[in-house]
Amino acid sequence: MSASREDNTSSDAQLSPHFRDLLDSIIVDIASECHRIAKLGLDRNLEDEEEELRLSTQARVRAADPSNSGETNSKYVVDIFGQTHPPVANEIFDCMNCGRSIMAGRFATHLEKCMGKGRKARSKAARSSTAAQNR
Amino acid sequence: MRHSVNRPPTPDAAEDQENVPTLQEIINIKLIESGEKERLMELLRERLTECGWKDEMKTLCRAFIKKKGRNNVTVDELVHVITPKGRASVPDSVKGELLQRIRTFLNSAAL
Repeated sequence: MSASREDNTSSDAQLSPHFRDLLDSIIVDIASECHRIAKLGLDRNLEDEEEELRLSTQARVRAADPSNSGETNSKYVVDIFGQTHPPVANEIFDCMNCGRSIMAGRFATHLEKCMGKGRKARSKAARSSTAAQNR
Repeated sequence: MRHSVNRPPTPDAAEDQENVPTLQEIINIKLIESGEKERLMELLRERLTECGWKDEMKTLCRAFIKKKGRNNVTVDELVHVITPKGRASVPDSVKGELLQRIRTFLNSAAL
């Protein structure tokens, strides 16, 4: 019994370098994988969340600050992400009905006139609906 | 006297062939040639993942990366960071199993 145990320990010393070899290769693989994930920013979750948390606390402070509401910022509300929005949406695009350039905040009003009052639009809509009723 | 007389002697090709590979080298070659090294590697990988060792190492890496900044880290540094802890924290059962596998292989390979 003791003889075989001695055998094991002496051959352990011989075999350990090979085990260490395998282990070192695996360690290099893990280091390489973590390095890659770090460099490619694939593990960003933690940092991004902390960054957002920081920005939103800053914005909250700004919004809660009473000195803000008195001045030029009175027209603009600051939300918790620190963004401001003008009271009337000022993005400009083309109306898909008449093709004119319309400001987004004025689009609803424009559409009322564009689709409701135009001579052709009115009469065409009236004609097709009455025609359908008469059938 | 010609300088060529004092030249050092040309190395004898026969001398180099007396470099006998060590026992460790022989074992290593046998392991690789038979494909056993590959199998042992996969077995070790599996055991180390199962017992959470791999996750521990990845956590150490991430902590180091966070401290140093992700663009200031090299693979080398990471290896140096996790090697000591890594070698020390392999469970005895895992090491034992692998050593036993190697021993069995060598016995069957009649070394």
